[in-house]
Amino acid sequence: MRSTVSNGADFARTRVFKKMIRIYPREDVCIGCRLCEIHCIVQHSKSRNIIKAFKSERRPRKRVEVEEEGHVSFALQCRHCEEAPCVTACLSGAMSKDPKTGAVNNDPERCIGCWTCILVCPYGAIHRVEDGHVAGKCDLCPDREVPACVANCPNEALVMEEV
Amino acid sequence: MARDIRYAVIGNSAAGINACEAIRGLDKEGDIAVFSDEHYPAYSRPMISYLVAGKADAKKMLYRSRSFYKSHGIELRSGTRVAKVSAKRHSLTTQTGETLTWDNLLLATGSTPFIPPIPGLDDIDYLTFISWADAKRLSSLLRGNPRVLIVGAGLIGMKAAEALAEGLAQVTVVEKMDRILPLALDDEASRMVSDRFGKAGVKLTNGTSVTSLEAEGSGKTGDGKARAGRATLEDGSTIDFDLLIMAVGVRPRLELATSAGLETNRGILADDYLRTSHRDIFAAGDVAEAPDVVFGEPRVNALWPNAALQGKYAGLNMAGAETPCPGSTSMNSVEFLGLPVLSAGLVNPPDGGYEVISRRDNEGYYRKAVLRDNIIVGMITAGQVDRAGILTSLIQERANVRRFKSALLEESFSHIYFPKAVREGRIFEEKVGTDAARR
Repeated sequence: MRSTVSNGADFARTRVFKKMIRIYPREDVCIGCRLCEIHCIVQHSKSRNIIKAFKSERRPRKRVEVEEEGHVSFALQCRHCEEAPCVTACLSGAMSKDPKTGAVNNDPERCIGCWTCILVCPYGAIHRVEDGHVAGKCDLCPDREVPACVANCPNEALVMEEV
Repeated sequence: MARDIRYAVIGNSAAGINACEAIRGLDKEGDIAVFSDEHYPAYSRPMISYLVAGKADAKKMLYRSRSFYKSHGIELRSGTRVAKVSAKRHSLTTQTGETLTWDNLLLATGSTPFIPPIPGLDDIDYLTFISWADAKRLSSLLRGNPRVLIVGAGLIGMKAAEALAEGLAQVTVVEKMDRILPLALDDEASRMVSDRFGKAGVKLTNGTSVTSLEAEGSGKTGDGKARAGRATLEDGSTIDFDLLIMAVGVRPRLELATSAGLETNRGILADDYLRTSHRDIFAAGDVAEAPDVVFGEPRVNALWPNAALQGKYAGLNMAGAETPCPGSTSMNSVEFLGLPVLSAGLVNPPDGGYEVISRRDNEGYYRKAVLRDNIIVGMITAGQVDRAGILTSLIQERANVRRFKSALLEESFSHIYFPKAVREGRIFEEKVGTDAARR
């Protein structure tokens, strides 16, 4: 179903056909502004409103992380691995790979917070969220045409590719 | 002559299920039959402690959806114990005498609790804690805040202790080694976990063992055994208990491998492809003794993530992929009373030849890395664990970390510390880690 979500000045709509997408960082143009992190937080907040997300609601954990050292920076989130170690290792069956989109998703209802996924993620891209009770990660923004981090990067340092 | 079953899988837990999924990924047609002596669909064995603590229900215990077997075209023969395997005839015989032939067989028979011969133990109706049935039985006996004695402070014993500590029982744990979780953790991490248990009111008695047991007369069960009793320790002191849980360790279930004439040591010997000494028989999980990437020799790593990984590669190879299993080693991830602790590889190196670096801060963060000739071979991370998997992947890759050794202990240690070419290789080619390494 197509839905429309108003998100400040940014309009997004559901990807009409479930596409396989991946997000890649470009460290040569990343300026380390962390807008990707901010808009990731907004997108995963209850209201999806930037002010409310940061000021009045429980702030969700960012699913993308800017790594920075000196002049080098880049943003990294879950790679949605083809052969995802977290999916194999998950001991509750909460972590799965969507056969249509290739997205690796964690079901918070089934997750028990044992952190086996964190133990085996080579990218450090899975985090303890919701006060440390369940694992959280990039979900490729399934409600949006373009993931929030990519859409809001001012310098195209995050790019989306269809695979 | 066509055989009865294309793929026979004995064992319905982490290794068996991941094998089935891998087989189905490559072979949509070949029939798969899973044999299990338990009466459940696949469930998350490590979650039995959550079940006892009331943090998971029966539905949450299920490892896969209800429709899993049907949608994957798998015949589940639950409650069917396989009594014998013949390698020569490519056959198995169930306890009811039915004989079936197979093309490929996976032995994913797991392990069984090791029960040490303690004088007096035969008179006691003790419990073990590795199955759903064990958890149900324990739950049914938890009336009136009983005194529970747990023998063994490994993962099984301590998960049982944690489940009971939150208001269900008065718990005492006796451990022969000088600390709890002696294999999974080192002194420091063990101390951090011990502190939590101490605050939760669990009594930890380390560095001693139960030398004898005496059953208490009252409360005898049907077979004349008693649940309650008194344990005597090495120093002569005694502990009275209402329930006794034996959690000393587990042993691979080798009976079928032995009946088939396969080569065994501690476990069933298997190669990088999880193939046993017979070409068409594979072994994975707790029962397998397969090459360990860190130790460089076959090891039994009776741990869930390892079983799932080995099961997956056994399945791929049963379906003809001829793909070696990457990164099999000791991997532990647990949270005890709110403290997450992760470890991988060799965490307690023997003296000589190893470099150990560690960092502990007052916020409850602890990390240790074990290196040999600048190759990272082991790690422990407690407290802030979010990026610890990067270290696990470096251990599995046998990575030389000389150029970023100083950063390994940082909580923020991540790809920015790698040389650019390495970083880009990981991010753009995804050629890292356990599973991705195979492409």
